[in-house]
Amino acid sequence: MGCRGSKVPEKIVLYYDKRSAPCRTVLLTAASLNIKVELKEINIQKGEHMTPEFLKINPQHCIPTMQDGDFTLWESRAIAQYLVNQYASNDSLYPREPKRRALVDARLNFDQGCLYQRLLNFYFKLFSEKVKDDELIKKFLEAIELLNTFLEGKLWAAGDTMTIADFALAASVSTAECFDFVDLDKYPHVNKWLARCKGNMKGYEEANQDGINALKETIANFK
Amino acid sequence: MAGILFSPDWICCSAEPNMPIDFYYIPGSAPCRAVLLAAKAVGVELNLKLTDLMAGEHLKPEFIKLNPQHCVPTIDDNGFALWESRAICTYLANQYGGNESLYPKDPKKRAVVDSRLYFDQGTLYQRFAEYYYPVMFGGAPFDEAKLKKLEEAYEYLDKFLDGQDWAAGSEMTLADISLASSVSTAEVNINRLEFRTRFSNKYIAGCWFRSVQIRKCHQLAEKVQEHSAWLR
Repeated sequence: MGCRGSKVPEKIVLYYDKRSAPCRTVLLTAASLNIKVELKEINIQKGEHMTPEFLKINPQHCIPTMQDGDFTLWESRAIAQYLVNQYASNDSLYPREPKRRALVDARLNFDQGCLYQRLLNFYFKLFSEKVKDDELIKKFLEAIELLNTFLEGKLWAAGDTMTIADFALAASVSTAECFDFVDLDKYPHVNKWLARCKGNMKGYEEANQDGINALKETIANFK
Repeated sequence: MAGILFSPDWICCSAEPNMPIDFYYIPGSAPCRAVLLAAKAVGVELNLKLTDLMAGEHLKPEFIKLNPQHCVPTIDDNGFALWESRAICTYLANQYGGNESLYPKDPKKRAVVDSRLYFDQGTLYQRFAEYYYPVMFGGAPFDEAKLKKLEEAYEYLDKFLDGQDWAAGSEMTLADISLASSVSTAEVNINRLEFRTRFSNKYIAGCWFRSVQIRKCHQLAEKVQEHSAWLR
């Protein structure tokens, strides 16, 4: 399967918000594959995801949502998997060998189910109730601690090469930079790995850092 | 290992594992049951290792060595350790699956299965857990707002199932296995008549689940019932 090495599409369309970590996962993936992205901003706070047009595209009205010709797909990590399966000329970003692939899948699930979920939990409480919940922050840091353990003695999160798992985890972990109460210095493997991501991921500034900066601004405005 | 096939696009191993795969689980857990169902569908034997979380068996040093996140389900396939239920399901299909329809190789078809698996983890099962775990583990009262969020997730699943038999297309896939485990857990655990009226009968998702039970997958249904019965 996959790594068809099909010719990259002229462009894909991405409904997104740059502040959103899952959206940045897709941007990082597309940048690595040299896939041009036509960006369409959807501001959830303004209800732009609930227009009849967008609901027709995605009844779950979530972002990121990708359109590749007449093929529509959502769930950021599935989009990342798809782009590599369909368009990559080699499989380093998402290995074909089942055990190596399984490790990437496991880390993607860890990102969604544990690390990013816990970030969402404390962020949502901060945003909607203006409450800094120390218990929720502690749970998030436990997830970072787990990632720190996974990264011990390793260069990348899911094997010997940079993979889409690193894109997803980097997008999530770097989001913690927006909060001064999250101190990543305590997690040396995570710190080194994140620096490695920033230095090696193609288009990191535009695909990820710009969104982090925009999110910092949003957070500053609702304090 | 016998019978390794090489294809230009995909390295796949259709042989059996050397020895049954060790499977650390508890039957009440929906993600664990998804792996049981997937293994059954792929035709791989699991060596069941009941891991009593309440008794702290997951915190034993041997288990933490295998899995520092000490969660279930976890497999040990002859030295290859893996956790996260949906990654285990896709691994079993990728490594041992002969039936391609369960986890298609075509990138677009596969992408839809992957998308539904993330919907299960991030939305459907997530909202069930948020609604039910505080009650089951924390003694909290039921929260109507959280039930509404779960109901919304059912509405999404309904829309995905509209006009097709299975969650990711015209054939049963790993997505149905994962989603059916979640849905069956919600149905069994949430014993309120209101829930049954609101969910099971109202939504196509209820019909889909019943069709899973009635129509195509007796083995699937048996396993679901068998393990759901543990909860009653």
